This record gives sequence, structure tokens and C-alpha cells, in this order.
Amino acid sequence: MAGLIEIVLGIMTAVGGFVDVSELTFAAQAGSRFGYSLLWVFALATVGIIVFGEMSGRVAAIAKQPVFCLMRQRLGVSLGLFTLIASIVVSLITCAAEIGGVAIVLKLMAGGAYLIWAALSVAALIVIVWVLPFEWIERLFGLLGLLMLAFAAATVALHPPWREVARGLVPQFPMHLPGGDRLAYGYFAVAITSAVLFPYETYFYSSGAIEDRWTPSKLPVNRLTTGVGFSLGSLLSMGILISAAVLFRPVHVDPREPATVALQVAVPFGRPGLLIALFGMLMAFSGAAVETCLAAAYSLAQFFGWPWGRYRKPAETPRFTLAWIAGFVIALALVLTNVPPLDLVEWSIVFSIVVLPLTYLPLLLIANDRKYMGRYVNGWVANGLGVAFYAIVVVAAVGAIPLYILTSGGQK
Amino acid sequence: MTPDGAIKVFSELRDLQIFDCEDQLCGICDEVEFEGEPSQPLKVAALLVGPGAYRGRLPGVVFWLVRRVAGDRITRVPWSAVEHVTSRISLNVRAEDLGLGREDRRLRPLIEKVPFA
Repeated sequence: MAGLIEIVLGIMTAVGGFVDVSELTFAAQAGSRFGYSLLWVFALATVGIIVFGEMSGRVAAIAKQPVFCLMRQRLGVSLGLFTLIASIVVSLITCAAEIGGVAIVLKLMAGGAYLIWAALSVAALIVIVWVLPFEWIERLFGLLGLLMLAFAAATVALHPPWREVARGLVPQFPMHLPGGDRLAYGYFAVAITSAVLFPYETYFYSSGAIEDRWTPSKLPVNRLTTGVGFSLGSLLSMGILISAAVLFRPVHVDPREPATVALQVAVPFGRPGLLIALFGMLMAFSGAAVETCLAAAYSLAQFFGWPWGRYRKPAETPRFTLAWIAGFVIALALVLTNVPPLDLVEWSIVFSIVVLPLTYLPLLLIANDRKYMGRYVNGWVANGLGVAFYAIVVVAAVGAIPLYILTSGGQK
Repeated sequence: MTPDGAIKVFSELRDLQIFDCEDQLCGICDEVEFEGEPSQPLKVAALLVGPGAYRGRLPGVVFWLVRRVAGDRITRVPWSAVEHVTSRISLNVRAEDLGLGREDRRLRPLIEKVPFA
């Protein structure tokens, strides 16, 4: 019974923690601009995050190696250090984007100044992470983030044309569009891949598995959490895209702002729906801010071999503790420069995909190393999928920056 | 030990996590120190931990930057203090007996002043 509760909680936490500000805004923009034709990218990228998420959990349970230790061992100190710095920069930009999202939602709910809400929310998040152990942090934001299911309910209530929706799941490239739109389609395809496969998710998931002291007995939980939890979370993101295609595309509304996206729930469910959607967004963005900041601190501590973890009291892990506090402060400083949060979202998306190949290569190598993994080494399915998605990630990484520049972040 | 074996020991020790006898993570093996004479068998003398051990592993400019930020301290872990090596290195002594984790011990009193630390 306890095992079943653990599995259900794990899946619910994965679902509630899946959507962040990047996925929300890119899914809504994609639906508004290209209808259902980018749904297949979400589906494909979800298989990718399931494959690499499962691999990182399995490696953590068997080889007891967090991602950044693997990175150092397999890439060497020079390339490993480069990846570390790039990952920390990306995590902190993403953290700043999430804090910006939290501040926007709080401003919508209670009025007041955006920058003051940003500072207050960072102070609150620091207190929460300081006081609560890892399990509680994960569950608090993951379970309250389930309020985002209001978006899925709204999708059903908006009665989308399901046959057209299903057609969107078939891989396609809209050759009929003008050249500029085709480039923008490519940019959104890369951005969605990046948003679903965010590197911090792997760092956080694998570090969490080590914090939870996973053993081989946890491998079924790992498979279910990644397989079922990530799939359901992705369905939620797809629901946001579908609702945007139903509501915003016919009237040419660009839902770049989270407030506009929240209208997806307000239209079918009125004011109560809007409040639930906003509260869900608040929890989802806060959870993502915590995850990104902790992911940056985990990376640093694991690379240099400092004691780390949120199962331990802050005094037991002084350098790790100072690292995550510094992470929050730097992210807040970025927000306080008044950079539009959506610019931060775009930067984090573009630079994340560039870091991804360096994150996933060591993982793929160690999951194939029988000396470390014994009988839990990658089978042919995991290997085939891993190599295929690695190739996709490399192609997306090569195309990300040129597409961002050519399309002005998808705006052309 | 065959030359192949010796090279394998070297490549598989570097960058592994080091845990002390109380199962506390206390560093990463940044470099391996060997001892021996020409025509004599080469032996592992110690594991080197700390940013100073990156010399030779990082390009010159990068090492200069690392040294500016993190210093160039090296802590030497004698091979005799190694209990066994698997996917990690386990020691048979406490970290503080070797001078590992010094920074954390220095910072701990500051953190402990904050409630719930």
C-alpha cells in the first residue's frame, strides 16, 4: 500500500511539476500561430524526456552517480567545466524567467508593483527551501501545481475539433507556408523541444533520486514516474496548445503573456476558473524557480565534490546552501534589471538546447557501461531511442541560435 | 600489473567521488600522484584533491582564472587511506583527519547562526 501511495504521489508530483513558464507561453504561442500542427513536436519531445529521465534515474539508483559527476568523468575537466558554467548560466536565466512569471501572476492576483512581487517571492522561496526538506519541497509545489489541470479541463470544455487535433500528432512540415513562417515554425519546433527537454529537469530528477537514496528496488517507480508522470504532464501542455488554437488563433491574439494564457480557463469556467488557473500557475512557476535554482547548486556541488542535498540541514552542507541562496539572489538581480520576463524565457529556451547535447552524452555513455550498471545497463530499446533522441537534440542545438536570430525569437 | 592495467587505474580513479569512513562526500579525485623510478613498477602514491590539481588538466588561461577564483590549494590523500574503489572511492579515515572539507567546516558556524539551520 505504501509503495502504491509512493508511486501515485511520484506521478502526481511529476505531472504538477511538468509545466513551467516556458512551456506555457511557447505552447500557447504555437497553438495561436500554427494551430495543431506542432502537437507532434510535443509528443516526440515527451518520448525524449521519458527516455533520458528514466536513464538518469536508473543511473542514480544503480551507479549512485549524479549527472555532473558523470559529466566530469566522461567529458574531462575542461569540457566538463565549460558545460558546468553553461548549465549554471542557463539554469539561472530560467530561474529568473520563472521568478518573473511568479511576479506577473502575483501582480494579476493582488495588484502592486511587479519588481516588489519578484523580490518578495524570492524571499519567500528562500525561506521555504531553507526550512523544508527535499521531499516536502517537491511535493508542495508538485501537488499544488496540479491545479494546472484546470487548463486540461478547459481544453475539453472548449470542444476542439478532435479529428484535426489528432492530425496535429502526425509529424509534418508546413511547406505551404511562406518562407518566414516556415522558419518561425522551425523555431517553435526547436523551442518546444527545448522546453520539454530542459536540462535542469534531468539534473533535478537525478539529484532527487540520489537524495531519496534510490536502490534497484526503485526502478519500477522510476519507470512509472517518468513514463506516466511525464506523459500526463505533456498532455497538459498539449491541452494549452489546443485551447490556444481554439480561442486565440481565429481572432489573431498572440498569447505571449501568461495573463492571456490564463484566459483559456476563464472563458469556459469564469472567475473561479481564472483564479484556479492563476494559483496553479503561481505554484507551477514557483516550483520551477526552486528546481532551477537547486539544479544550479546541485551541479556546482556535484562537479566539485561538495556535500550537497536538501535532505540534510543547511549547516551540514554550507557551500551547497550558499550556492542555492546565491542562485536565487543572482536570478532576482536579473529580474530587477527590468528585462522583460518573456525575453528571459526565450534566452533560457535557446541556450538550454545548446547545452543539452553535453548533458545527455555522458548519461548515455554511463547507462551503456556494464561495469557501472551491471545487468541494469541500457537494453536495445533504451539505446535505440537514446541515440535517436540524442541525434534530434544535436540537430536542434545546431539550429537553435540561427533560427532565433533569423526569426527574431519567432516574431517574424 | 600490466601497462594496460596501470593506465586503467589512472583513468578510472580520476574524477571519482571520495567518501570518508563515515560515508560523507568529501571531494573529487582531481589528480593522481604516482611514484617510482625508471624501469621500476609505477605505484599510485596519493590522490590529489583541490583546484591546484587542475594544473595540466585545464588550458593555461582557464587554470589561471580558476586559480584566481578558487585558489590553488591541493589536499593530498595518501593511497594507504583508500579502503576500496568502486564507482566511488571509499576512505578508511575521516575527512577532517586529511584536511578535506576544510571550507565547509569554516563556513558552518556562520550558517548555524540562522534559525532552522
